Amino acid sequence: MDHTSLLERWLRRFALALIVTFFMFPIFWIVLMSLQTNETILRSPPSMAFVPTFDNYLAILAGRLDSNVASMGIDFLNNLMNSIILSVSSVAVALCLGVPAAYAFARHKFRGSEDIAFTLLSFRFAPPLLVLLPLTLYFQQIGLADTYLGLVWVYQLICLPLILWIVRGYFEDISPDIEYAYRIAGHSWFATFRKIALPLAGPGIAAAGLLAFIFAWNNFIFALVLASADKQPVTVGALAFVTASGIQYGQIAAAVVLSIAPTLALALWAQRYLVEGLSLGAVKG
Amino acid sequence: MTDTAMPQRRELISPKMLPYVLSLPALLVCIGILIPFVTAIYYSLQKYRMSQPWNRGMNWGENYLKFLSDPDFWNTLKVSLVYAGSTVVLELLLGLAIALLLRKRTPVNNFISIMLLMPLMTAPALAALMFKLMTNPNFGILSYFMQVLGFSDFRWGSSPDTALFTVVLVDVWVYTPFMMILLLAGLRSLPTQPFEAAALDGVPRLEQFWRITLPMLMPYILTAALFRLLDSIQQFDIIYAMTQGGPGDTLMVFQVEAYLNFFQSTNVGRSTALLLILWAITYVLSNIFVKNWLRLRERARGGA
Amino acid sequence: MSYLDLSNIRKSFENETVLDGISLSVPEGGTLVLFGKSGAGKTVLLRTIAGAIDPDAGSVTIGGQDMTTVPPEHRGIGMAFQNFALFPHMSAFDNIASSLTSRRMSASEIKRKVQDVAELLKIDHVLTHTPKALSNGQKQRTALARALVSEPKVLLLDDPLRNVDAKLRFEMRLELPCLLADRGATVVYVTQDYKEAMALGERIAVLDQGNIVQIGSPEDIYKRPANTEIAQLFGDPTVNLLDVVPQEDERGLHAFLSDQRVDFHGDFPGVAGRDCIVGLRPEALSFTQNGGFPVTIEAVTPFNEKTVTLVTTLRGREILVSQPAQSTVPEGPEQNITISAQDAILFDRQTGKRLEPVTTGERVEEAA
Repeated sequence: MDHTSLLERWLRRFALALIVTFFMFPIFWIVLMSLQTNETILRSPPSMAFVPTFDNYLAILAGRLDSNVASMGIDFLNNLMNSIILSVSSVAVALCLGVPAAYAFARHKFRGSEDIAFTLLSFRFAPPLLVLLPLTLYFQQIGLADTYLGLVWVYQLICLPLILWIVRGYFEDISPDIEYAYRIAGHSWFATFRKIALPLAGPGIAAAGLLAFIFAWNNFIFALVLASADKQPVTVGALAFVTASGIQYGQIAAAVVLSIAPTLALALWAQRYLVEGLSLGAVKG
Repeated sequence: MTDTAMPQRRELISPKMLPYVLSLPALLVCIGILIPFVTAIYYSLQKYRMSQPWNRGMNWGENYLKFLSDPDFWNTLKVSLVYAGSTVVLELLLGLAIALLLRKRTPVNNFISIMLLMPLMTAPALAALMFKLMTNPNFGILSYFMQVLGFSDFRWGSSPDTALFTVVLVDVWVYTPFMMILLLAGLRSLPTQPFEAAALDGVPRLEQFWRITLPMLMPYILTAALFRLLDSIQQFDIIYAMTQGGPGDTLMVFQVEAYLNFFQSTNVGRSTALLLILWAITYVLSNIFVKNWLRLRERARGGA
Repeated sequence: MSYLDLSNIRKSFENETVLDGISLSVPEGGTLVLFGKSGAGKTVLLRTIAGAIDPDAGSVTIGGQDMTTVPPEHRGIGMAFQNFALFPHMSAFDNIASSLTSRRMSASEIKRKVQDVAELLKIDHVLTHTPKALSNGQKQRTALARALVSEPKVLLLDDPLRNVDAKLRFEMRLELPCLLADRGATVVYVTQDYKEAMALGERIAVLDQGNIVQIGSPEDIYKRPANTEIAQLFGDPTVNLLDVVPQEDERGLHAFLSDQRVDFHGDFPGVAGRDCIVGLRPEALSFTQNGGFPVTIEAVTPFNEKTVTLVTTLRGREILVSQPAQSTVPEGPEQNITISAQDAILFDRQTGKRLEPVTTGERVEEAA
């Protein structure tokens, strides 16, 4: 039924090849760069012919940067660790807070529930600095400045709305009858929540959690404003690393690869849920 | 019948209170975040520089009034709007084109659409860093390409002429896939009958696109564009990581300007006033967006 | 003595009244069928009894105890849902066992009870399957088993045969009354199918727009429907409703259909000369060689157990005639039919309500 001409098919293929090149090339190139020594990187014209080396990665893992000029300590592993700590605990907190709230909003249309849900959603769209700048002053006063606790709290601005709105949709998709049936079978609301609602919304909760993790990991501005060097995640740390390491381009590239690898891997693994999550449930994937 | 009343068990939490109890923790956390918002309004009405604590005091609307005659402010507004406008339009056109190319569910198309997710999952700040490396005048591959093409003096982010182009390029690289997957999901969820009918009637494909595809896809296009517009007008990560607003004031968008005002010139009053103007813009946009988005969500749930 | 009592139950959703002051009682071990069109409020009423919906006003009493505010898990009821509401992530066994796990009961006892009820309902061979792997009939039986297994004193069945195919529905319609009678539970059964209602009900309550319009035995409702609407709902083929203006003479109230005189037995003061409707069951009509009135046969539809014939009178009124299958439709289009007059039902044309004969003869009493 498709009457596409040969020419059109080739044009399509050409366009797709161009698109794939445009979107994949930077990642491809940065990976190549991370496997080269500074000498091969600086060759002109650039060439794909080089002997791959893992020295850049080894230097980052060892935390030492040895060049022919000098030797300096690098703390990029610490940044990676911070990213993991911040993202994991932010998502954990957001799940603990968000899933029960999502259930409440989905099952009980109580007074003001829509307004509250929208207020929470609006955090997603407000300029983050508006909250962050006054918060720096408050955090200094109450001693939350430069603590994981303070950061995790502020990270709720990204994670909580995401989890609340995605998971709420999944809860709404469960037929209330199924829950009534379990109640009538003699179980309390809490048992029903645990044994029926949670398992049935499980995939949605997992997807929302993964997406929240990716957004937390990729966040830049919160940590830039609120965290000092020893609490900074990779996004901020990589930038500082550029200034610190000067011309060690191979190491910078390796640091970038290490920083983006976790989210890319997660995204590929959970791509099924991404569409729905990214649109906060407006578009089914 | 004998009265064998079984003792009525007391519920720990009364059913009426249950929803409030469940949502309370989330609310408390968020109220903590609302306090700084109110503080920001208060600061924006003050003459407040951290470097001059003795000179602090209410000046009511003066920060806002000063904007009217402040060329820096108008520059900020202009740059923000140009940045947001050009990124959204470019991403929309490109995203729509890619979605149309990938419309059919073939293994190759699905594989490509998954591949294209990767830029979107890259932290924007790191994406900017990657492009910074690629445009490095010494070894950057893009700089090399430009030389080969004959632009020997193409300085990317470090020249006022091309800085905007460079950050827009990064934004397009990161966020076009977002448009693409939303529109692709929209395209694939459209009913097939109108297209089959049009094909039977021999309607040319271009006309099919204008008369059937585009109108039916409009809700998705609107939602995706508004979503991006909301984010793009607040862009910070890419611009800050690439040029910190420079060179000069070429890329001083709202949040970058406010950030530098706060931390470099320590002018808290001006900084918060700027952010509140940005907030007002996003508030209006987000209201329009939420309306659209709710309608679409209703449809997605109804159709599911 | 009544076991389940509803008193003046009211419920509205967003200004729309769904239940408008319903009072009912069901004796211990008795079966009540709630019958009505969709949207009549049957399901909401059932859920109010179950505790899944809180009424705005009124009370629910089960076994002499006020249960109005008691949560569903403490009401001691079993319920089967129209859409089955099986737990999709549990096996059929776990679905059924869920009614027992909240009690102090050993695993072996649970296993035995589930096995027993599964055998009774002929689903013991699919207990390890998840609902997805069950046929509709098996799903329905699993849902029923889940409601029955805990031997509840009150059993609520929300149109349990609605979503199963015709053959199974027919089997279950025969099977269910015995099954329910064996359990000795007090049963409330919701249905939209009048045959189901007739097969099960000792008593049928007809619901319309949140009100009970009639309660009675199946025979009562069939023979003395409260209004034309109920008359139409009960009976297949549907009742013939013909406009008449009855007259009175020394032999009593009567009307003429074509040339045949139809007598209404009993006193109907004030009815003569009024606009009325006469309801004639298709079974009350039969073809005859002599007498009756002439009709033209338009269409004959043979079913297994009966033959339904559409005829028109000389005045062009369409009438359905139903006969047992073994009796043959006479040859030729021009025939006579006769009416067995004691089965004629008289309704007021304006209100649609049935006109009841009074013996004391004061005023026209309308059917309750």
